[in-house]
Amino acid sequence: MAPRTYRPEALNTSKGLFVLACLLAVVAMAPIAWIVGLSLKDNKALMLGTEAVFALPYTLANYVNLIGSSQVFGWFFNSLVVAVGETVGVLVLSSLAGYAFGRLEFPFRRTLFVLVLFGLAVPEQAVIIARHQMFNWLGWHNTHLGLIVPGLTSAFGVFLMTQFFRAIPKEIDEAALLDNTPPFRLFWRVMLPLTLPAQATLGIFTFLHAWNDYWWPLISATKKEMFTLTVGIASSQTNFAQSEGLGFLSAQAVFASLPVVIVYILFQRHIVTAVSGGAVK
Amino acid sequence: MAESWRRSQWRNGLFALPFLVTFAAFLVFPLIWGFWLSLHKVDLFGPGRFVGFDNYVKVLRDPQFRQALLNTLIFVATTVPTLVALGLFLALALNHLTRATAFLRGLFFASSVLSVTIVTLIWRIVFIPNDGLIALVFDHLGWAQIGFLSTKGWSLFSVGVATVWWCIGLPMMLFLAALQQIPVDHYEAAALDNANRWRVLTRITLPAIRRTVLLVAIIQVVMQFQLFGQAQLMTNGGPAGSSRPLVMYIYEVGFIRWEVGRAAAASEILFLIILCAAMIQYVVATRNQEGV
Amino acid sequence: MSASIEIRNVTKRYGGLTVLEDISLSIAAGEFVVFLGPSGCGKSTLLRMVAGLEALDGGTIDLGGTRIDTLPPGKRGVAMVFQSYALYPHMTVAQNMGFGLENIGMAREDIARRVTAAADVLEIAHLLDRKPAKLSGGQRQRVAIGRAIVKEPKAFLFDEPLSNLDAALRGRTRLELAQLHARLGSTMIFVTHDQVEAMTLADRIVVMHNRRIEQIGTPMEIYRRPATRFVAGFVGTPAISILGVKAAELGPRGLTVDLGSAGVLQTRLQLPVAVPAAGGLEIGIRPEDVTVVPPGGDGIPARAEVVEHLGERTLVYARLPDGQQITAEADGRSTLRAGTEVKLRLDPDALHLFAADGRAFHVDAGGYDG
Repeated sequence: MAPRTYRPEALNTSKGLFVLACLLAVVAMAPIAWIVGLSLKDNKALMLGTEAVFALPYTLANYVNLIGSSQVFGWFFNSLVVAVGETVGVLVLSSLAGYAFGRLEFPFRRTLFVLVLFGLAVPEQAVIIARHQMFNWLGWHNTHLGLIVPGLTSAFGVFLMTQFFRAIPKEIDEAALLDNTPPFRLFWRVMLPLTLPAQATLGIFTFLHAWNDYWWPLISATKKEMFTLTVGIASSQTNFAQSEGLGFLSAQAVFASLPVVIVYILFQRHIVTAVSGGAVK
Repeated sequence: MAESWRRSQWRNGLFALPFLVTFAAFLVFPLIWGFWLSLHKVDLFGPGRFVGFDNYVKVLRDPQFRQALLNTLIFVATTVPTLVALGLFLALALNHLTRATAFLRGLFFASSVLSVTIVTLIWRIVFIPNDGLIALVFDHLGWAQIGFLSTKGWSLFSVGVATVWWCIGLPMMLFLAALQQIPVDHYEAAALDNANRWRVLTRITLPAIRRTVLLVAIIQVVMQFQLFGQAQLMTNGGPAGSSRPLVMYIYEVGFIRWEVGRAAAASEILFLIILCAAMIQYVVATRNQEGV
Repeated sequence: MSASIEIRNVTKRYGGLTVLEDISLSIAAGEFVVFLGPSGCGKSTLLRMVAGLEALDGGTIDLGGTRIDTLPPGKRGVAMVFQSYALYPHMTVAQNMGFGLENIGMAREDIARRVTAAADVLEIAHLLDRKPAKLSGGQRQRVAIGRAIVKEPKAFLFDEPLSNLDAALRGRTRLELAQLHARLGSTMIFVTHDQVEAMTLADRIVVMHNRRIEQIGTPMEIYRRPATRFVAGFVGTPAISILGVKAAELGPRGLTVDLGSAGVLQTRLQLPVAVPAAGGLEIGIRPEDVTVVPPGGDGIPARAEVVEHLGERTLVYARLPDGQQITAEADGRSTLRAGTEVKLRLDPDALHLFAADGRAFHVDAGGYDG
């Protein structure tokens, strides 16, 4: 056999590692396949033994029942309002602040920015007690506003937007200056449009974060009709496996994760940028 | 060198004002006030009474707190190295970009976008005795059943498994991003220098992403110290508090027993621990770097 | 619509560091002036001060008889073309060009008219609906110039606008800029470190070095009669050869210089009394004034170390017996090879004399006091 040309790519890939990663992927996906399988089974059949999941028949009955339960839709709506509200709020506040910190000069800019960065290090648990009391006084518990506002203090968005604004070449400002551009118009017409990719990244990331939040809604939303989907599903798990049955519970899990999974599939690239972009420099 | 036209003006600060006000009102103020609360005996009724560091002393003497602290430390000490090692492994295995690796990356990261409620629901249904996926597998292999969520020791372990499954995406992505930034010519130079795969890994790849390893470790320590939802939903801290983490202790003291001052004290302690852990890691890692 | 520019005693400091010191300069209306100098000499800073992007730490700047250094950039009536073009990436070509006019509230149809006219001149009318990312480097350059033209400014400022183009395109754009200047007749200031751009475009060149203006003059003055050793060395490719003067004596016909192994030359150079004939003098001579003598002829012996055959001429980098380097020019058909011994002849009338303080003296007019 004639000798084959040496291929330099051989150095970068390791078949062994890749095969191992594939095996791990199968293991990691097993629980999801398990849940999807259960969700498609009749609850009574599962009572006799969950091995039934490996055999026909499958049914959509659990999903039909789910849609019949108005409660879940209320929670879904709450989650949507909170996630959209928080996303819009974070985008507005972070863009304005990121522009100020990234491109403008004003007294105490550095000090304030360091303070904001310090906010990145404060875990929510450290403020939760006082925040709860504060919202008590304001009468904001069990309101959408009360669920949205704590998310608006996130320094992450400001940090991300500051970095993006900083990356815009200064000649753009200078050209705009020679073009007689007034300050707000400079922000609105010139700078902001240049950060659209960053807006998308931050927006999707914030949406997912708000949608998935459990800690604050658990504490603030105590009325059942104000539950978000995460808290609602948690509350219906309490008497686990006794009442509704495994199939129904599984269907709930699948249904509740659908929005984020769809968002994830559509915007995977933005999400990856959001989580890795700010950190690795 | 700042350009002259970039003049410092109060007016410019107006852009930052909306965020700063929100930030001050709902983060800085509660942070300070939380500390004030921790020095007072406060409950649902009436204003607080100043008690100095009494709350802290009481918390630190509380056997429940000590157990929660121990549980959390064990949890952090096991999950963080697992997450770092596994994340690094996946990143190395999936670094070369092809359709297959892109798909696997997406798969491993996918669990991160689920909420804690879904994750725990999935894992509870996997772990439940007799009917769970694990139980089926054990049956099939003829092994004895284990009550994963109801046995001391196993309960915290199960919470850890669900946590690693949930959180592995971020370390992997961060490591991948770091690996992508290593210039290709370093590898080409190594190939011309006859370096084998192991030496390339230990002499080129790992030194190049040292900072990212540190970053990932710090992020994970901070995150895992805040363990709450998984434990609350999967085991409710049980059995006998053997899987109750610190945050759950704070939650129970503050929002079930309504001992507000004490909960505030416990949360300040948690904050301090997290800060210290992150700082120690940072200092140790940077000192090591200088030594090399 | 062009205007004169008057820069008076301008100084610029960054913290404790002075980058421009007491600069004064008059630019006539319609003149094309090039600021030439090595990087860091302050030429861009001076331009940016005219534009209003840098504040003055002293002095004044007038445009068309009105003081402008007190005005914000947009109100000065100048337009600038940036090195990086600084086009707004999210706007189309037409929007890019019209943005400044929109800002001053000009009527839509007037903006459209001006943009179309400028686009026609620059031959970019077919690109008006594209975004900058979809344009080539040369096209972006034109848009940047177009954005300046539509403002009908009193003066155009160019900050190294050609340096991001490839060599061929740079040459073509240079020609077009010259045509544009001829057509518009506007006052233009052009900053560059490229002497070819300076020589070909400028009515007058301002050579800057080390916080100061070294010389202001027409391209030919700068080349033929450099005011200082720096200017002589900076302008001209390949660079002027510098030889040390061992001894000099001022006779009735002029200065006689002893160049060591390059021989003793009788020149027509005159020296002001203030300059001592001895100590630290140097001679400069351009390659085209050093010729390779055909074999058998008389001349200074040297060894050709590198020979560059450029086609129309041949450059000979030679070393004199005492180790000094000298660049000579030979005919394009020369077959000279590196390593051979050659004889060189220096044109005594083309010599430049440099005093120890850097001042230069030339044959025809003696000293030039720049």
